[in-house]
Amino acid sequence: MNSPQYRQRAIQLREELSDEYFILWIWDEALGAAGKPGQFYEIRALSSLANLQTFHAIPKLFKPISIYDNQGGRIGFMIKKVGTGTNALSRLRAGDTLELIGPCGTGFPVFRGRRILLISGGIGYPPLWYLQKELINHNQIYWMHGGGGQADVFPCDEIWTEDGSIGRKGRVCDNLEETITKHEVDTVYSCGPQGLLRTVCEITNKLDIEHYCSLEAYMACGIGVCHGCAVPIGHPEDWTFKRVCKEGPVFNAKEIRWELF
Amino acid sequence: MGAILNDIWGNSINAVKLLTTRLGKLELSTPLLVASGTFDLENFEFFDPACLGAFVSKTITREPKKGNPPPRLYETEAGLINSIGLQNPGLDKFIHEKLPVYRDKLSMPLIVSFSGSTISEFCQMLETLEASAGIAGYEVNVSCPNVENEGIAFGTDPDIVFELTRRLQEITDKELCIKLSPNVTDIATIAAAAEAGGASSLALINSLWGMAIDYRTGKSKIKKGIGGYTGCGVKPVALALTYKVAQAVRIPILAMGGIYNWQDALEFIWAGASAISLGTANFINPLAAPELIMGLGEYLLSTKKSINDLKGKVEI
Ligand SMILES: Cc1cc2nc3c(=O)[nH]c(=O)nc-3n(C[C@H](O)[C@H](O)[C@H](O)COP(=O)(O)OP(=O)(O)OC[C@H]3O[C@@H](n4cnc5c(N)ncnc54)[C@H](O)[C@@H]3O)c2cc1C
Ligand SMILES: Cc1cc2nc3c(=O)[nH]c(=O)nc-3n(C[C@H](O)[C@H](O)[C@H](O)COP(=O)(O)O)c2cc1C
Ligand code: FES
Repeated sequence: MNSPQYRQRAIQLREELSDEYFILWIWDEALGAAGKPGQFYEIRALSSLANLQTFHAIPKLFKPISIYDNQGGRIGFMIKKVGTGTNALSRLRAGDTLELIGPCGTGFPVFRGRRILLISGGIGYPPLWYLQKELINHNQIYWMHGGGGQADVFPCDEIWTEDGSIGRKGRVCDNLEETITKHEVDTVYSCGPQGLLRTVCEITNKLDIEHYCSLEAYMACGIGVCHGCAVPIGHPEDWTFKRVCKEGPVFNAKEIRWELF
Repeated sequence: MGAILNDIWGNSINAVKLLTTRLGKLELSTPLLVASGTFDLENFEFFDPACLGAFVSKTITREPKKGNPPPRLYETEAGLINSIGLQNPGLDKFIHEKLPVYRDKLSMPLIVSFSGSTISEFCQMLETLEASAGIAGYEVNVSCPNVENEGIAFGTDPDIVFELTRRLQEITDKELCIKLSPNVTDIATIAAAAEAGGASSLALINSLWGMAIDYRTGKSKIKKGIGGYTGCGVKPVALALTYKVAQAVRIPILAMGGIYNWQDALEFIWAGASAISLGTANFINPLAAPELIMGLGEYLLSTKKSINDLKGKVEI
């Protein structure tokens, strides 16, 4: 299964994390076997065009959601309610149907024998959870996660909140240089809001450290056909727009042309 | 026909016959095509290609095009705004890398969409394409709203459309479909100019101009400000323009703009379309194409009417 597939699957279990965050679990062995850390699915609460004429209910786009967990066919999506699509997902209960397109994109490279720093902000947490499960037996890992407040943080080695309600007060990248030096980090993985990723890229580029960064983009197709999710990638003099849904979402930090965003 | 379609057509030669249609020089097995820029081979992972009458590729230009800066997309209350800016690998790469794959993988006629910035550039591109095997026809994009001073300038001037079409039809004997912009004062004049110039069919509509602003911050949702508006919100406009053009020309119309399901498709056929395309719907429903063809096939079978019987028979 090399290309994204379309499936409808029943939700096996729904887990409540807080008012804003929840996890949906589905079961599919074939999709499970195909998925890798850093890949995502385009998902949606089942919508039908069949009643468009009768009810004028207009189905909306699928939304990109990372693989949060993937073990033996049990696939999890950890989701934050932010707008139309994620609110519709938040109304789903066990037994309801989820539409999926995926697995989409190219995931994180997985190494052995490295000293790794994971750094995530807000809803950048889920893909790193799956990633650290794949890395943990063969690498040394230190994971820092930050969020706005208490509701936005999850288990990891070092927690930061902007309001100081839990963990250290400030942005998760505030002490990054020291952390990288202290833990003798040679590889960084990151995912989160653009502002955070940009700062992390600046620091790892300055220190010349290998860094794989998972970017977000608004998507329409999720499978590489519409070119709607493009981001500027490459050398400063020789870059092109690459698709977050196909060549991404993970890019080498040295190649992300932040100045062109 | 594939597994899903077998249900209704398994032993029904009739439905198959009722669905055939003609787009200029092409005899199509179904009236359903896919809109340029919204569909590619990846989509065939989702359904059986047999439901498509032809395949229209993403518009190419002579030189590679980087495209517009992000964000390029925003979904509105009813439909989508895009600002892709015709990102494409250019003519050479298309011919050497994409076309061989299309030749190998496509089971239906390939219509190549292309665009240029001068009449001679359009002509040169067509000459180069004519030298390649595996192309059944051309969709000439004179109507992309996302590139300045290019296609759109062509699409808004009937004299230029006439001259361009006349020059292009001298170069090819294949299907020559001119894709029109809705962002004009009188689409019928432009359609008539394309017909007079020798177009064998017309495609309409390309994207409308559209914009979205975050009401709290005042910030445009699309980096370039104005983008192209497509999807269900544009359907009434597309339907009106299809009707208008159908009154003005005799060549077949490939209609699109907000078609999501078979009922929408029928409306466009009543208005005068010989074939229809799915664009934004491919993002909204990965199975939009097979579902449309199944619904349309069932409808035609139950009424014992063909596309031709219904085409342009709208009652006003
Ligand atoms: C590759 C990839 C993987 C992703 N993985 C996950 C995941 O595992 N879990 C998850 O919850 N989300 C994830 N996201 C983000 C998720 O796709 C968006 O939050 C979602 O598309 C928002 O859609 P919506 O219709 O709910 O909100 P919209 O209606 O599109 O937006 C509503 C409001 O929220 C704002 N908004 C949009 N996106 C975000 C955001 N990411 N954070 C904060 N505010 C936002 C908008 O600006 C707007 O004001 C991922 C995105 C990408 C590209
Ligand atoms: C993301 C996107 C990319 C498009 N790219 C092209 C293109 O390259 N060439 C073209 O002629 N039309 C392009 N279009 C326009 C469509 O082909 C079609 O005319 C339009 O979307 C209206 O149909 P719809 O409402 O069914 O989407 C594009 C539309 C979208 C949404
Ligand atoms: S979302 Fe369509 S190409 Fe990435």
